[in-house]
Amino acid sequence: MSEKPHIVKSYEEQLQLLKDTIVKMGTGVEKQLENTIQSLVKKDISLAEKSIKDDELTDKYEINIEEQVVNLIALRQPMAIDLRETVVALKVSSDLERIGDLAKNISKRLTKIGTDLPNDITKNFEIAGLKASKQVNAVLNSYLHRAKDTAENVWNSDEEIDQMTNSNMEAAVKHLEKNKKDIQKVTQLLFMLKNIERIGDHATNIAEQVYFLITGDYLEGDRPKG
Amino acid sequence: MSKIKAENVNVYYGSKQALFDVSIDIAEKEVTALIGPSGCGKSTFLRCLNRMNDVIEICRVEGSIKMDNLELNSRKLDVVRLRENVGMVFQKPNPFPKTIYENVAYGPTIHGIAQSKEEMDQIVETSLKKAALWNEVKDRLDEIGTGLSGGQQQRLCIARAISVSPEVILMDEPCSALDPIATAQIEELIDDLKKEVTIVIVTHSMSQAARVSQKTGFFHLGKLIEFGPTDKIFKNPDNQQTQDYITGRFG
Repeated sequence: MSEKPHIVKSYEEQLQLLKDTIVKMGTGVEKQLENTIQSLVKKDISLAEKSIKDDELTDKYEINIEEQVVNLIALRQPMAIDLRETVVALKVSSDLERIGDLAKNISKRLTKIGTDLPNDITKNFEIAGLKASKQVNAVLNSYLHRAKDTAENVWNSDEEIDQMTNSNMEAAVKHLEKNKKDIQKVTQLLFMLKNIERIGDHATNIAEQVYFLITGDYLEGDRPKG
Repeated sequence: MSKIKAENVNVYYGSKQALFDVSIDIAEKEVTALIGPSGCGKSTFLRCLNRMNDVIEICRVEGSIKMDNLELNSRKLDVVRLRENVGMVFQKPNPFPKTIYENVAYGPTIHGIAQSKEEMDQIVETSLKKAALWNEVKDRLDEIGTGLSGGQQQRLCIARAISVSPEVILMDEPCSALDPIATAQIEELIDDLKKEVTIVIVTHSMSQAARVSQKTGFFHLGKLIEFGPTDKIFKNPDNQQTQDYITGRFG
């Protein structure tokens, strides 16, 4: 359904502000994740440090969105599409905050172990990380453009990240068997790989919310999992 | 189970058509809310259910409205009996300028329901208890009903309506003149009454429709645009006009 503006302009503005804040938060989280991945790709630790710093802003956005949602529910009693818009914003902001946290966690581990890491594992990490970034970007676009199909695609393709994570974990363990001296670095990398997989899961959660926002229905069936 | 089944109801005030082919199934012992902008026909439809439109000379009702297979729109229908069975509560509390007791006893008296003073006392007490007013008025039943507060007067009107044990109660904006506490008391009462009675309520308060009803119908320009489970109507209506109305995008 294409929506007419509300009769009460201030209500229209409040809902628009909520949507804009989600988009701003999402853009920030995307940048945080990009800096985290690129820190490893470019072997530039300052990018990881930037990602850690930027997480403060992500947390502030989450609180701001929660305040907006509570106010809308208390003062406007939104209905139908407006109710879904409000509830979905709350849930999406919480998933975005988690993505930011996970990016920050990867960055922290990077600052500990440095960028001089076993090439075979970091290559896997980069591929999975870029795939997760793409998923986050796609799901934010689906939110911005109310694109149901894009949300469904994100939901369906998380399987790839799951599979990558499994094979990356196995490869890391194999590397360790041959290079016991790398134990500290590889242990940290295992957590980093797992964090990428969790980021994919949060993108999938957001996809479910976007689908609900647009259709009022829940994505049915079990999500494909690797 | 269906209590009232309206099919292709058309209502005219003179040459002006007020309702267009309204068909609706009102479930027994449920609350059905009718919403829509002023002049949309929801009250006109409500008034069809106890033939209140008969009092408007230029009003003509076509189509079928059956309550338990009894055709309400039939000329042969005993309208007095119908109104005993289908009570009504209005926007503005309208107790008779009589005592609280007499207000409640009025219906049972004219319909010859009570055989003795004791029986009448019992009906008055039960009705006032069901209307959640008994505790507030039991010591002053001989005081005048119009001296009560607005919320109490409305509950007195509900007690008056239920004193003749109707199967259906129609409510036309019953809380629009009441404060939030009195409104909550009426809503609690509606929740309670629906165990025994079918209730149809017209309301301008979207949140009230959402709170009290199980089914909601949205009227616009004399047509029933959408009718369905209340949670569906307020969470994810099928019709764009319904959504525009309930989210304040109308006009």
